[in-house]
Amino acid sequence: MNELARVESEQHGSLCLVRVYGEIDMSNDREVLTAIEGAVARKTVRLVVDLTHTTYLDSAGLALLLRLAERIQARQQRLSVVVPVDSPVRRAFELTGLPSVIDLESRSEDAMNQTRPGYSNDQV
Amino acid sequence: MKGLRGHPKQMSRSTLLRYTSKIVLVGGAYYVAAILGLRLALIERNVTPLWPPTGIAVVAFLIFGWRVWPGVALAAFAVNMPISTNGLAAAATATGNTLAPIVAALLLVRVGFRKEIDRLQDALAIVFLGALLSMLISASVGAGTLVLSGAIPASKFPAAWAVWWTGDAMGVLVVAPFLLGLFQRPWSGSLRERTEAGVLLLLVATVSVLVMNTDLRLMFLVIPFLGWTAWRFQQRGAAPAALLAAGIASWAAAHGLGPFQQGTLLEKMITLQAFNATVAFSSLFFAALVTERTRAREALERAAAELEDRVGRRTADLSTANARLKHEIAERHDADRKLRQREGQLAEVQQQAQVGNWEWVIPEDRVSWSDEMYRIHGHLPKAFPLTFEKAVEQVEEEDAARIRANVQAALGRGRDHDLPPSEYRIVRADGAERVLLGKARLSVGSDGQPLRMIGTVKDITESKKAEREHRIAETLQRSLLPDRLPEIPGVMLAARYLPATSDIEVGGDWYDVVQLPNGTVGLAIGDVAGHGLRAASTMGQLRMALRAYALEEESPSQVVSRVRHLVRLLVPDIVTMIYLTFDPESGTLRFANAGHPPPLLVGWKGETSYLEGGLGPPLGATTHLGQDIEVAAHVDAGSTLLLFTDGLVERRGTSIRDGLTRLKTLAADRGEDLEALCDHLLGSMVTSQVSDDIALLALRQVPLAAEPLLLRLPAEPHVLAPLRHTVRRWLREIDADPRVADDVLIACGEACANAIQHAYGAKDGLFEVNLVLSDGTVEVTIRDLGSWRPSSGSGRAERRGGLGQRLMRELMDSVDVNSGPGGTVVRMRRSLQVGADRERTRAR
Repeated sequence: MNELARVESEQHGSLCLVRVYGEIDMSNDREVLTAIEGAVARKTVRLVVDLTHTTYLDSAGLALLLRLAERIQARQQRLSVVVPVDSPVRRAFELTGLPSVIDLESRSEDAMNQTRPGYSNDQV
Repeated sequence: MKGLRGHPKQMSRSTLLRYTSKIVLVGGAYYVAAILGLRLALIERNVTPLWPPTGIAVVAFLIFGWRVWPGVALAAFAVNMPISTNGLAAAATATGNTLAPIVAALLLVRVGFRKEIDRLQDALAIVFLGALLSMLISASVGAGTLVLSGAIPASKFPAAWAVWWTGDAMGVLVVAPFLLGLFQRPWSGSLRERTEAGVLLLLVATVSVLVMNTDLRLMFLVIPFLGWTAWRFQQRGAAPAALLAAGIASWAAAHGLGPFQQGTLLEKMITLQAFNATVAFSSLFFAALVTERTRAREALERAAAELEDRVGRRTADLSTANARLKHEIAERHDADRKLRQREGQLAEVQQQAQVGNWEWVIPEDRVSWSDEMYRIHGHLPKAFPLTFEKAVEQVEEEDAARIRANVQAALGRGRDHDLPPSEYRIVRADGAERVLLGKARLSVGSDGQPLRMIGTVKDITESKKAEREHRIAETLQRSLLPDRLPEIPGVMLAARYLPATSDIEVGGDWYDVVQLPNGTVGLAIGDVAGHGLRAASTMGQLRMALRAYALEEESPSQVVSRVRHLVRLLVPDIVTMIYLTFDPESGTLRFANAGHPPPLLVGWKGETSYLEGGLGPPLGATTHLGQDIEVAAHVDAGSTLLLFTDGLVERRGTSIRDGLTRLKTLAADRGEDLEALCDHLLGSMVTSQVSDDIALLALRQVPLAAEPLLLRLPAEPHVLAPLRHTVRRWLREIDADPRVADDVLIACGEACANAIQHAYGAKDGLFEVNLVLSDGTVEVTIRDLGSWRPSSGSGRAERRGGLGQRLMRELMDSVDVNSGPGGTVVRMRRSLQVGADRERTRAR
C-alpha cells in the first residue's frame, strides 16, 4: 500500500509485536494508533512496538505513543517501545523525557525477552 | 661526315674520359679479334679468309660514331706492325683497315640501315654496301701494300686481293650482325624459348664440327639448322649461328681439316668463302624475311581488329538511334491513349471526389448538369432536363430562398465575377439529408447582360460530420488532460499536447503527474489506439483509474499490472503506456513500460540514453501471463527526463528508429528552460502536418540548495510528508550533517504542524516555509496569515502541541514566535556544527 506508514503485527502467545514502517505525523497518527490497537489481541499481556523501521516521528507520534501507553495500562497490559540508538526517532524520545514514562529498548530482542509480567511494572 | 656523330667543339673532362674509354674498348676488341683472326691465315700471316676485326670496326662506328677511329687505327697498326715488312707498310695497311669500316658505316647510315636487320633492305645493305663494296678499300690498300713492300710478288696480287676482300667482307657479314644483336634490347624470351635457342645453337655447332671432321663433303648439312634457327629466332638466333658455323669452317680451313684436306689453296679458299657466304647470306636474308612477314601479319591483324572495333561502334550507334526512335513512337502512342482516357477519367474523378459541375445558359434558361450532379442529388444521370428554377427546387426551402436572392443580386451587377461559396442542404427523394458546397462564376456580355453561369457542387456531408466529431473529441481530450502541473520544489515540469491536424485524427494520448503521499511523484504517459471520440473517452477513464492505482500502489509495475487488468476487463482498445515514480529526494526513478516508446534521459552534460528496460506488451494486446517488470534508474541534478507518445517520433515514410535517433540528437542540445526545450522539440520534430496527436512531458531535477528554499503550501496535514522530502533534500544539498538534518526536519515539521492545526481552523489557508543557509546556520521561518487560535480543546492536540514546543526548543539553537493579528511567524536557527562545537556556540 502506498501509504505514509504501514503496521505489521505478530502474536507470540501473550506477547504482541507490532512493527511500524514509514513516517508518523499529524496526517496519519490516528490511523496508526487504530492499526496498532487493532493488532493487539485480548490475550496480550505485553505489547512491543518496534520503531526500528520508522523513519520520521514527531510530536504527533510521541503523543500517539503516550495515548497508547495509557490505554494499554488501563487494560493491565504492558507496553515497550523499541527505538535503536542510531535512529532519528531516538532523539525526539530522549529530548521529551518519554523514556521516563514508556519502557524504551534499543533492540526488539531485548524487549521481547523480558519476562516481567506487565501488571508488576513498578514504573507506573 | 654527315650521318655519323661528329666531333663536339669542346669536351668536358667526363666526356673526354668516356671518349677515351670507348677508344680503348674498341681498340682492345679489335686487337683481340685480330689476333684470333690471324690464326686462320691462309696466305702469309696477314691474309685470312675471315677477318673478324672489320665486323667489330663497322659495328663500333655504327654504335659510337666515327670519332672512335683512333682506336681502330691504332689497333690495326699494332696488329700489322709485327707482320709487315716495315712500319710504313703497317701504317698503310692500318689506314686501309680503318677507312673501309668508316666508309661501310657511312654508307649504311646514308641508306637508313636499321641495326635490328629486320627488313630485307637492311640485309641487302649490309651485304652489298657494308661488306662487299666497302671492303674493296681495305683489300686494295692491303694487297697493294703487300706487293709494294715486297712481301709478295706482283703475280700473287689478284689472289691476295681476293682473299683479303672476301676475308674482310666475311668478317663484316658474320661478326657485325652478331655484335649488333648484342646491342639490341635484352631478349624477353620464355625459359622454353631460351632452351630451344640454346639447343639449336648447340646443334649448329655440333653439326658444323662433325662435318668439318669428315672427309665426306657434307658441309651443306649445316644449312637446314641455320634456316631453322633463323625462322624460329630471326637475327637473334641467326647471327650467332652464322658466326658459329663460319668460325668453325674457317678454323677447319686454316687447319686443313675434313673437306679442306685436299686441293689447292684456291680451291680451299673458294670452298670456304662459298660456304661462309651461303651461311651469312641465307641466315641474314632468311631472318630479315621472317621478321618482315611477321610484322606484316601483325599489321594486318591490327588493321582487322581496328576494323572490327569500328564496325562494333557503328553498330552500337545504330542500335541506340533505333531504340530512341522506338521509344519516341511508344511515347506518342502513350500520349494518344492518355488523351483518350482523360475524358473518361474526368467523370470518374467527379464521382470519386463527389464533385459535380453545371452550366446555366441564362438567355435560354437552360441548365446542364454533369452525371455526378444528378447522383449527388439522388437521381440517375440525365434523368430530366433542367431550368434554373427546377435546379433550385432540389434545395431545401430555407436555403433555396437564400440562393435565389444571391443569384438575383449577382445577375444585377453587370460584370464577370465569382459568387461567394455557399453551403446548403438538400433532402433526397429517399429522405437522406446532404450538405453541399456550391461555387459559381458569372459571365456577362459586352452590354453587361448576364450570359452564362458555371459552377461546381461538392458533397461535404461526411467531412462536416467528421469536423464536428473532431472538435468534440479535441475539446473532450483537452478537458481530460491536467489543466496545470503540480509545483514540486526542485523539480521542473513541462508538458505539451498537440492534436492531429487532419479531420478526425484526434487521438487518445494522455499524460499525468500525481504527487504521491510518500513524497514521490508519479508520472504517466500513454496512448489509446484509434482516434476520435471513443479513444478520447477511453483515455479519460484510464487516466482516472491510473491516478487511483498510483495512490494505492507504491510499485510502478503493480500500477501497470492493475491498469492492464482493467483494460482487459473493460476496454476494447489497445493501449500503450509507461508509468514512473520519481523520488526528488534521492533522484531515483522507477518505471514499468507497457509497449510504449522508451523515455529519453538527457544528462546535464547533454549525454542521452533511452530507458529501454521494464518493457512488457501493450495493454489489451494479448493476455499477458508474465509479471510486469520494473526497473530503476537515477536522475542526477540537472538531468532531464522526456516522456512522449509515438506521434512525436513517427513520420510516414521513415522508421520510428530514425525518429528516436533524431529526437536524441535534438534533445542533447537542451537549453536552460524546460518550456523552451519542449517548444524546440515540437518545432523541430513536427513538420507542417500532425498526422497523429502528440503528448510530451518533460521533467528536470534542479538543485534546491542553489538558493533559499521557499514553499507556499495549503494548511493541510497531507502536505507535511512531501514537505519533509523537499526539506530533507535541501538539507542534504547544503551538506548538513545527518544528525543536524534530522533535528531541523523535526523542528520544521513541528512548526508547520502548529500552523496547520491552529492558523485557520476549518477554513482553507496557506502557510509559508522558508529555509536559508547563512553563515553556517540554518534559519527556518514558518509564516501563516491566520489568527493563532487555541486548539479545540482535545487532549490529543494539546499534548502534541506541548511536546512540539519542547522539541523545537531542544532541537534548535533559538526559537522566536511572533503572533499578531496578521498571522504568526516562527523563526528558528540551528548551527550546522555538531557535538562539542555546537555546545560551545550555544554557550556564547
